[in-house]
Amino acid sequence: MKRRSVLVALAVIAVTAFVSAIAASASYGGKARHSAKSIEVFSLWGGSEKDAFLKVTAAFTAQTGIDVKYTSGRDFITEIRTRLAAGNPAEIAIVPRPGFLGTLARENVLKPLSSIGLSTAYMKQNYGPAWISLATVGGKLYAVPAKANSKSVIWYRPDQFKKYKWKTPKTWSQLLALTKKMKAKQATQGFAPWSIGDGPSQSQWVLTDWFEDIYLRTAGPAKYQLLFSGKLPFTDKSVVTALKTMLQIVNNNYALGGIQGILGTSFVDGIARVFEGAPKTPHAQLYMEGGFVGGIALGQINPSLKPGITINDFPWPTINAKFGRPLLGAGDLAVAFKDSPEIRQFMKYISTAAAATVWVSTGAVISPNKGVSGSAYPNLLVRNEAAQVKSAKVFRFDGSDQMPGAFGDTWGFALQNVIQHPSSIKSILAGFQSKIAGQWGS
Amino acid sequence: MEAPLGFPRLSQALPTPVEHPPAVGRVGLRTLGARLQGLLFISPALAVLTLFLIYPAYYTIRLAFYQSDFLFRFTHAIGIANFKNLLTNDPDFLDLSKFHGVNILRELLYKSDGGALLNNLHWVVFYITLSVGFGLALAVLAARVRYERMVKSVIFVPMAISATAAGIIWLFVYNFDPNIGIVNALIKPFHHPVAWLGRPSTVNYALIFAYVWASTGFVMVVLSAAIKGIPTEIIEAARVDGAGEWEIFRRVMLPMLSLPISIVTIWLFINVIKVFDIIYVMTGGGPGTSSRVIAFTMYEETFPNGRPGYGAAVAVIMLVLVAPVMVLNVRRFRSERVVT
Repeated sequence: MKRRSVLVALAVIAVTAFVSAIAASASYGGKARHSAKSIEVFSLWGGSEKDAFLKVTAAFTAQTGIDVKYTSGRDFITEIRTRLAAGNPAEIAIVPRPGFLGTLARENVLKPLSSIGLSTAYMKQNYGPAWISLATVGGKLYAVPAKANSKSVIWYRPDQFKKYKWKTPKTWSQLLALTKKMKAKQATQGFAPWSIGDGPSQSQWVLTDWFEDIYLRTAGPAKYQLLFSGKLPFTDKSVVTALKTMLQIVNNNYALGGIQGILGTSFVDGIARVFEGAPKTPHAQLYMEGGFVGGIALGQINPSLKPGITINDFPWPTINAKFGRPLLGAGDLAVAFKDSPEIRQFMKYISTAAAATVWVSTGAVISPNKGVSGSAYPNLLVRNEAAQVKSAKVFRFDGSDQMPGAFGDTWGFALQNVIQHPSSIKSILAGFQSKIAGQWGS
Repeated sequence: MEAPLGFPRLSQALPTPVEHPPAVGRVGLRTLGARLQGLLFISPALAVLTLFLIYPAYYTIRLAFYQSDFLFRFTHAIGIANFKNLLTNDPDFLDLSKFHGVNILRELLYKSDGGALLNNLHWVVFYITLSVGFGLALAVLAARVRYERMVKSVIFVPMAISATAAGIIWLFVYNFDPNIGIVNALIKPFHHPVAWLGRPSTVNYALIFAYVWASTGFVMVVLSAAIKGIPTEIIEAARVDGAGEWEIFRRVMLPMLSLPISIVTIWLFINVIKVFDIIYVMTGGGPGTSSRVIAFTMYEETFPNGRPGYGAAVAVIMLVLVAPVMVLNVRRFRSERVVT
């Protein structure tokens, strides 16, 4: 009997210890751990983009003595959502997709800039109105535009153009004519006119950019804004027109490997089909994607490329003369989930021209900051892109990035369906519209 | 039949139900004490189970009847609307609109655009058949060669690789460029390269095959061990009776392997209902939504789309699909115990 009661006592002790351990660990998480001066910044860059950003944070640490811990995750929406649900978000996140940030702002988890010491007047001094309106949700400014991209460029090989006496096109009909000329050479020279990488694992955004550049030029910036803010349904005639225009190039005939090739080649592989092994004949002549293609081609694919000689870009041609040459751009926005003196200092710092200059001098990014001079950019490709971004009269932000939540991906998937089944454009659009209707915030 | 603990007492009491056994007194107290003690001893395990299994399961099931926000709160009770929407109004999850033939079963297997639920059906049928088929064939054949160990270790290696790494490897195998992708290199003399992962009609089979590659080793090892357990006397007796090798396999080995095969099949079934990682790595559910499966939909809705309630409903459907198989499995174990 005695032994039994000892066992019972032991069991009671074990249970108590276990329960109190759980209770203790539960309360532990809530405590602030910021006695040391450090902040965590979350973004999705790795590799050379990460190195470039670490130079900016190093400059910040040197100036203020505040440590910056950089964490990254490609699947940033999932990461931010889970950490928010756990009550432990990073202090600051720098991410693309203003649409997602809009969702977060409406869920009241972001700190408005005015509440952390960055007045709207100050922000307007540093950034153009397009950027300010992009970072504004419900009348409040939430984000510092940290980096920018032009997405209205087409990449080519100047050496090839010289060899075949091609000229860079200024209009859509010239681009189609050029495509036909290249196609005529395919049988003898072995290259396709276009390489398009919209393939497996997360490349579906490439087609969304194709669509956006074309929609901006066929329907105009005003309609573009309506479409990508939920005020115009995707079943609109203008969307069908733009998609049909897109299919004049994005088809079996002109793309390397046809539709199969488009769906089977990833974004980076697609760039390689044009720029790998500079001296020999490329697999394809043209590649359409944003300014960052230059950095990837030079950094990851073929370091022997020479800007202006074996790699260059030309601006997207005009389609409808009425709308001219509006610029499609994208960028990353910095937002704060919490408030502290350190966070305020960092947000202030990255909004300065000094920080932006450190960043752009790495050649990795274009800054939307008005105070950055063109001479800060280290090579021709980024300098051109920066000039294009700066001089654009009409600027529109990447539409799929403005879609709520992860609808940008859903839209990319819908476009993959469009290129495979051009005859069912209308039903694909109707299906997409029925999903996204009601998801746009006010 | 073996009865669970505590059961015999009740059945003994059954013939004389009129009189209750004395509830109080020394005996009653003792059993009560013993019971309390038992309860106390299992309480740590119970606490862990409650915290990490029962409570989350309860939370998820409850969440499935709510429209939730991204903080997983029960914001808005909406009854069975999530389930209704999933099964009738979400072509990415279940789309029966393309099926209207006479032979539904054949169409289900032939057409590949019926949404995540039917994709998973493809997985169940092909993944299990191929894994068990290859595993069994390899186990039987390996037992007949001298270098059995070597063969088995080579085939077992993929089990040591995480699904993520396996996914990356198979991305190379299926690469569109014949200079990189071995499949396209092999078909190059006869056919244009094919975007195996880029076409709705091939993507599911390409993924299934990659996953079969990763699990065949496990099936082989389990069945190989079972084959070793078959007494040689039985096989020899069959041989003496004039049975050919095929007959021995068909009429002696296969029946004796039926239990391990069914266990492996159940394991594969549970595995395939929750398959996620290899799809996430290789296609992200694309092209379009054609390679989504149930678990992928759950992830997609819960996190990127920020609809935990809807995602929870998918989780509940998953549970409902797995549960009968689990019950079957437990039953089977019990009946086997009686036999041996």
